Amino acid sequence: MNYPVWYLPAIGGPTLIAIIAVTHVFVSQFAVGGGLYLVLAERKGLREQNPAILDFTRKYTKFFALLTLVYGAVTGVGIWFVIGLVNPDATALLIHNFVFAWATEWVVFFLEILAITIYLYTFGRMEDRTHQAIGWIYFVCGWLSLFIINGIIAFMLSPGKWTDSHNFWAGFFNPTFWPSLWFRTMVAFMLAGSFALLICAFLKEPQLKALLTRFSGKWVLLAVLGGIPTGYWYLMSTPDHARKLIEGQMATITTALRYGAYAVVGLLALTLVFALARPAWHNKAVGFLLLACAFLVVGSFEWTRENARRPYVVGGDQGVLFSDSIQPDAMQRIQASGFLAAARWSRFKKVDQEHFLAAGQELFKFQCYACHTVGGWNNDLVARTRGMNFNALEGYIERIHQIRPFMPPFAGTDIEARALAAWIVKDLHGEKIPPVASLVAEEETGREPAAAGVPAGKAVFEEHCSFCHQLGEGSNPIRKRVAGWSRSRIRQALDHLSELNPAMPAFTGSAPEKDALADFLTGLNQEGAQ
Amino acid sequence: MSLPIPTTGPIQVPWGYFDALLLLVFPIHLLFMNSVLGSTGIALYAYWKKEDTPRRLAHELGKALPILMAFTINFGVASLLFLQVLYGQFFYTSSILMGAFWLSVIVLVIVAYYVLYIFDFRFPHLGRTGLWLLALAMLLFLTIPFLFTNNMSLMLRPQFWSAYFNDPGGTTLNLHDPTLIPRYLHMVVGGLAIGALFVAVYGRFLGRKDPEVGRYATTVGMRVFAVLTLVQMVDGMVFLVTTPGDVMNMFLGHNVGATAILMAAFLLALLVLVCGFLGKLVPTAVLAVPLVFLMTFVRAYLRTGFLQPFYAPDSLKVTGQYSPMFFFLGALGTGLLVAVWMLRKASASGKTA
Repeated sequence: MNYPVWYLPAIGGPTLIAIIAVTHVFVSQFAVGGGLYLVLAERKGLREQNPAILDFTRKYTKFFALLTLVYGAVTGVGIWFVIGLVNPDATALLIHNFVFAWATEWVVFFLEILAITIYLYTFGRMEDRTHQAIGWIYFVCGWLSLFIINGIIAFMLSPGKWTDSHNFWAGFFNPTFWPSLWFRTMVAFMLAGSFALLICAFLKEPQLKALLTRFSGKWVLLAVLGGIPTGYWYLMSTPDHARKLIEGQMATITTALRYGAYAVVGLLALTLVFALARPAWHNKAVGFLLLACAFLVVGSFEWTRENARRPYVVGGDQGVLFSDSIQPDAMQRIQASGFLAAARWSRFKKVDQEHFLAAGQELFKFQCYACHTVGGWNNDLVARTRGMNFNALEGYIERIHQIRPFMPPFAGTDIEARALAAWIVKDLHGEKIPPVASLVAEEETGREPAAAGVPAGKAVFEEHCSFCHQLGEGSNPIRKRVAGWSRSRIRQALDHLSELNPAMPAFTGSAPEKDALADFLTGLNQEGAQ
Repeated sequence: MSLPIPTTGPIQVPWGYFDALLLLVFPIHLLFMNSVLGSTGIALYAYWKKEDTPRRLAHELGKALPILMAFTINFGVASLLFLQVLYGQFFYTSSILMGAFWLSVIVLVIVAYYVLYIFDFRFPHLGRTGLWLLALAMLLFLTIPFLFTNNMSLMLRPQFWSAYFNDPGGTTLNLHDPTLIPRYLHMVVGGLAIGALFVAVYGRFLGRKDPEVGRYATTVGMRVFAVLTLVQMVDGMVFLVTTPGDVMNMFLGHNVGATAILMAAFLLALLVLVCGFLGKLVPTAVLAVPLVFLMTFVRAYLRTGFLQPFYAPDSLKVTGQYSPMFFFLGALGTGLLVAVWMLRKASASGKTA
């Protein structure tokens, strides 16, 4: 609400960040691990007086410099560009608090460039000990770069005591700093080994290929083994709220972790067979497959970490800044006095009859668009709200943070919630909404009280279930979920929904509403059976 | 309606520290950036000539360019960092308004950087492709500052920001601003001039191994430098005239500091120009470095003048946490020592090789 929003509804800001960030992390962490690989491979060549190993190391250095100095370094700047574009409030917060951390990182970045350039251009022309020392300087600077950036990234997940003191050091050495640092160091070594295995696949001389394939395979194996305890330590250090999301409350994390687990198993299996047991079998296809697995591991981890911060962009259990750039402290005030009135860059300052739907779109743009696209591949709002009628959606928006603990509360008044719901239902789905005049009038006259008595089961379904389930079609149809269930089983399940799936929130309706819903769902079963 | 300028949070130490750091690293960024621009331009010219000596110069410049590029980016990062601390609310807003173009800078830089590496590593096999590679690099190096100039000028013009309401897709440029073109030309013509001077100085070093190339580089570099500096001075005056009255008057006596710095820069530029036309390499180079620093101070005054109706960085609240800054300064000192050690070792290995 403080800044304009770069609005690309079909793509979405998070997609842009993900594309740049995941590929950057992949290359930059390789830059860290690869630095050590280079000096150790060179040392191996020197100790064994094996010019073939030294020649391999020189070629690896060239490839390494081309990838890390150009793509790695420039996409690092790219992350900065894109987070400033997509989430300027959070970027400003980080810059203001960690400017000297970044400035220090700039110093080590400078040394990295200098060291790797000298290392590359003096290979074979410099005294061995000095050349090795330059390599070590490169590695240490690369790792320090990780050390510093890790402090800032970990801060976003777990700001810890900074939330109260706003002290730089408390924020930097936050609760996940050390586990994250060692876990990422293991990832860096895993990537160094994986990239090296790809290069080994191109080697022609069988003996050298076997020797270096085995050497590189050990890097992957040890790094994966090291990643298990450090990863567990990391998980145990995350704030409670984030840990619950990781442990099953957030479906996107569950999916990411599943693919990540497949990738780890694939990586280990390929390494054990083709690098360690039978290096002679190692080939280019395996090399690329291995690297793809490594990429998937990195992507899965970063996706999980990014999402575990939700509903915050700078989180922790107390929360510093919501994903939609609203400060938790300001939430109550905005809910009382309205979002549009406070949003500097909104076209409308209030919801009125003339601009009712357009105001709804503005609310989407300044709040939901922080995570959702319209028709895009990532977190498509159209797909997420399919099957929901106006009343269901309005109720959902008002309780969204309770139903989905990874989403921020809707920041706005009742009429703003109605405008947003109306825009989604009418403009995105082309479905009917109540007359706008009546929706605006509710603001002045208050809402008509709900009809007395228990609502029909279908209405309960629409109000409580339709934000995840469709009736008979779609990706999560309720008819399929309860197929063959008896009424008593359905009724009992309504009391313990999270036992069915940790991502399911508890049913918040009354007991008579549960009864009505159970009847309705049982009826669906019978319809299906006929 | 008041202008929608975002609010921002406190800073850790008084703004002057950040300003000093910005004014230290930004001129260094410019010196590297200018060297990239000038070296690419002269390499393109030399390669196009198809003669032996110019071709060898193009090769030598091709070897230096990726390294110059790396440090251009490195010092650019530091400059953007300190800029964001003091002027983030303006900079992020203008960046968002031109988001599509702004993000494309990253792609353009990556492409240009790889083009330079291809030119360096594949030089013996390039033939006519080399010309195309350099032309592409040159085109990119002229486009990137155009986008930067748009952002750096749009951030100073909140009164133009209402364009966002008709174009939230990030394709707004600051094309209606009368200062845009003179400002861009000032950056690019000046950049090419200083870059040409770099080539002339580099020629001195190259001359130790290859006197013909050295002489050629120095002659071409000095000539280009002198002519472009003259053009640059004229453009500088045009630039000044296109600025709003209040801003221009700052440099015409209304602000003593701004006027003094501009006058000093102008006189130094005249001196550098004379040295340039006389072909005095060492004095020209020695005086050009403080000139670049002075011009960035002028630029800082310019920014202050543009933003004066809306904001001054001394309005930022200060939390008074000094220890991170001391830590950074310690790291910077240590880093410089390590850098000097590495450069000495590299230089020694060059001599013994």
